[in-house]
Amino acid sequence: MKKTLFALLMVLAFVLAACGGAPAPAEEAPAAEEAPAAEEAPAEEEAPAVEEAPAAEPVELVLGSWRADDVDAWDVILAKFNEEHPEISVKFDPTSPVDYDTTLRTQLETGSAPDLFFVRSFATGLDLFEQGFVASMKDLPGIHDNFNAGALAPWSTADGEPFAVPIAAVSHGIYYNQDLFEANGIAVPQTWEELLAAAQTLKDAGVIPFSNGTKDAWDINEVVMMTIIPNNIGGMDGRMAYLNGERCFNDADMVAAYTQIQDLAPFLPADFTATDYYTSEQLFVQGQAAMYFDGSWSITPVEKDAPDFNWSVFAAPPAEGKDQYISFHMDAAIGMNAATENAEAAQTFLEWLATEEFGEAFGNGVPGFFPVSNNVPTLTDPVANEFLSFNSKAAGTDIRFVWEKLMAQPDGFASPYTVMNDGVIAVLKGEQTPQEAADSLQEAIATWYEPAQNCGN
Amino acid sequence: MSRTQKFFTYLALSIWSFIAIFPIWTLIVNSFKPQKEIFQNPFGLPQTFTLDGYKSVWLKGNFGTYFLNTIYVTVISLALIVFIGSLAAYALAKWKSKASAALYVFFIAGLMIPIRLGTIDLVRIMQFLKLHDTIWSLIPVYVAMGMPISIFILTAFVQTLPKEMFDAAKVDGASEWRIYLQIVVPLLRPAIATVAIFNMMKIWNDFWFPLVFIRAEESRTISLGVSLLFGQYRTDWTRALSTLSLAAVPILILYILLSREFIKGLTAGAVKG
Amino acid sequence: MIKNLKKYFSENGIWLLFVMPALLIYLVFMAAPLLDSMRLSFYTGKGYTPTEFVGFKNYVDLFTNPLWRERFLGALKNTIIFFSIHMIIQNSLGLFFANLLSAEFKGRNFFRTVIFAPATLSVLITGFLWTLILNPYWGAINQSLKAIGLDSWAKPWLGDEHLALPVISLTSVWQWVGMPTVLFLAGLLGISDEILEAARVDGASNWHIFWKIKFPLLKPVIGVVAILTFVDNFNAFDVIFAMAGAKGEPGYSTDLLATFFYRTGIAGEHPAGIPNMGMGAAIATLIFIILMVGVLLWLYSSRKNEELA
Repeated sequence: MKKTLFALLMVLAFVLAACGGAPAPAEEAPAAEEAPAAEEAPAEEEAPAVEEAPAAEPVELVLGSWRADDVDAWDVILAKFNEEHPEISVKFDPTSPVDYDTTLRTQLETGSAPDLFFVRSFATGLDLFEQGFVASMKDLPGIHDNFNAGALAPWSTADGEPFAVPIAAVSHGIYYNQDLFEANGIAVPQTWEELLAAAQTLKDAGVIPFSNGTKDAWDINEVVMMTIIPNNIGGMDGRMAYLNGERCFNDADMVAAYTQIQDLAPFLPADFTATDYYTSEQLFVQGQAAMYFDGSWSITPVEKDAPDFNWSVFAAPPAEGKDQYISFHMDAAIGMNAATENAEAAQTFLEWLATEEFGEAFGNGVPGFFPVSNNVPTLTDPVANEFLSFNSKAAGTDIRFVWEKLMAQPDGFASPYTVMNDGVIAVLKGEQTPQEAADSLQEAIATWYEPAQNCGN
Repeated sequence: MSRTQKFFTYLALSIWSFIAIFPIWTLIVNSFKPQKEIFQNPFGLPQTFTLDGYKSVWLKGNFGTYFLNTIYVTVISLALIVFIGSLAAYALAKWKSKASAALYVFFIAGLMIPIRLGTIDLVRIMQFLKLHDTIWSLIPVYVAMGMPISIFILTAFVQTLPKEMFDAAKVDGASEWRIYLQIVVPLLRPAIATVAIFNMMKIWNDFWFPLVFIRAEESRTISLGVSLLFGQYRTDWTRALSTLSLAAVPILILYILLSREFIKGLTAGAVKG
Repeated sequence: MIKNLKKYFSENGIWLLFVMPALLIYLVFMAAPLLDSMRLSFYTGKGYTPTEFVGFKNYVDLFTNPLWRERFLGALKNTIIFFSIHMIIQNSLGLFFANLLSAEFKGRNFFRTVIFAPATLSVLITGFLWTLILNPYWGAINQSLKAIGLDSWAKPWLGDEHLALPVISLTSVWQWVGMPTVLFLAGLLGISDEILEAARVDGASNWHIFWKIKFPLLKPVIGVVAILTFVDNFNAFDVIFAMAGAKGEPGYSTDLLATFFYRTGIAGEHPAGIPNMGMGAAIATLIFIILMVGVLLWLYSSRKNEELA
């Protein structure tokens, strides 16, 4: 009987320990982890650095990433770094893209995150920085010399404090089957009208003109809509006019962009609603489709599939009489875990990201990701260079259209991204007119974004 | 059985067996084809036979380690679930009081909430216990997760056992512990088999807790290892299908080997309908 | 007072002792973390540990803000459809197969093994395979339909708002039908042969034997199967996430309560991916309440039936 009572007490004690134990690490975490970084680190690490620099303790860093596809390329890049800094080895440890953000956040909140990790641009990364999980980069030597303000902006606070080192930009365009173009007597379209005419010729010849679809939703928005918007609104200057309220999100130019989406509808596969992102690429690679909109990051998968035809890319052409702009988006940066115990080694690695050597290893290891430091490397991949050549021929480049506003999701409101995405799909399906879709976007942003509320004045 | 009955039985079961096997066939047969052939000839035997997928996947992932880890975790968790769960179920079925009814509902309540909700607290508990990044972090969570369903099923079965049996044993002076071991457990075999198989599927294939608890290569389970490799080979279908086959085939074989025992265990004894 | 306690423990102590290990592990590794997280439904903020107390605001928003309400009611409706398809089709098929498999005939062990086999696969695998089979271009289903001239039946299965949910539900039925089959089979084999033999001697038809004798005797098993189906499918997540993503494509038409919870509280909406755990916890708590009410009603009514019987 006494045993039973004792057991009962044990349970109570255990439960209390568990309930008390759970929040405790949360409160202690910052204190416990900041302390060694701030106090011990200099004391411990300065001394050996001065006295016995050659025999420095080997450090192993872990680099988290959503680029699960690129494991092999990163192993090569990181081996290069290790050659230069034998005392530091970095292990690439990716998570699949769909699970990356959740896993990273869980690790950060519980103090088990890697030393270094890929940081997404704008709101996502900024949120992690504001919560104190990502270290500031304002004191990283050379960061402002090696990167221009435009490259740093997506990973900076409103007052310009950077918190991650940008490594890659991506471009967007149209992949096309050169053999099919030739067989049908089509030249690379210079205007939107020519593009539609080419699509018609291909359709008449029994080829799917564009293999894009809407099953996964995000790709129609990010690789089609975002690619054609800059041509319609006039690149960065145009984008600024929407941001500061000079123009409304349902003005003639935005309606024109949605209208181009509508133009594409008859040239997508018949089952485009069931066509997912990977199926799009496969339809193109197998030669069933002559073109598809995609980002430069798909160079490697298409090359791996080794289509048995000649292929290349061209920039999404503007409507007759409009200027060409390119969607050249800042995609990835690497940040440092604010709680890492290896801050010094991690900073050494982050500094290395600005070198031409890294740029060359990275830009050629994963063609289609363009290094963004000012130490421009030479790229060897022909398609990657083709993508780059868009920039010099165009009137300008710009990041994705009002990306930071589209991502914003003030409490209880729909994210404008979702509204835009839904609108694009509705237009393709013929459920909304371009004007209606543009109106819904304007309405979604105007619910909370002041400049959009009195826009057009 | 009459002839028509027999014909109908075979027809219905053959159709469903085809439906059940076909996707698994697709998985295995395509993992031996080069990518292009998968799309040209998705269902037939490979015309160009390749082991490339398996070779590179086997070299990349430590499948041996993943398997051993998964087997340890699954076996230990199942043993604990069955033992602890049946003990509690027996008590809850025989113990007639308000407290036991409340405890029963409290256990069942665990079935009704998405377990991911508690992730952050669980990770902190594991860090507190210094278990994170080891396979031992998974076992207590799986055992806890298995309690509601096990207690639900086992209690229901204990309640169907004839009362006279326990009374007779009591009269003979047997302790509750002996009654549990010598009467209840043997009679519960079919229910225990159900509980074991039900939990085994969940534990073997769970991917979420390994994902948030474990980073170390040597502690990865098969589902975690496979999902990471699968992410890497998303666009390389030969390798993707090889990865998935390597995850699916061993448990399929294990199941086929054990299925007789499993069905015997399930259908043996006094399952009163 | 102390005497009473003493008496209580000498009578019930052994049972407490038996329940203790289960209770302990369940409390520490499940109940406590979940209860602590349900508490978060009264808070708001970014990330997994919101700190700003807002009382019932999340719950009020779920029912009054049109945006949240639409998603919540949509997910609830889809979940009911998803559950009903399992309840009706999966369990009827299971009963049907179990009845066939309970007879003596050559090869029944093979069929028993095969029907359960898909349940051993992880959802990552079944999701990938069925997406492949349902693919409009190289998937087996549309290719077969086209081969036999039924081109108009070849639909964009996973891209159509009206088809996607039933189709995904059916793939889940495909995977899990072995579960009710095995449970029913165990129940059927437990029915004594004498009863069935006696009925046959009396000249009862198979149909009659099934409905008038076997079915009533299976009632307890049916109860267990029904409640497992209810609980499992009201929390279903994996198959939708694997085949239709966290947003329940196309256009939320396959969004279930659990994907709604995951998207809101764990993952955050694409592309920002910033979770709102307070709202997520509120959704999870509501799922919990719905299920709890359902199960308690069932327990209550089954106990009443027992008393009547």
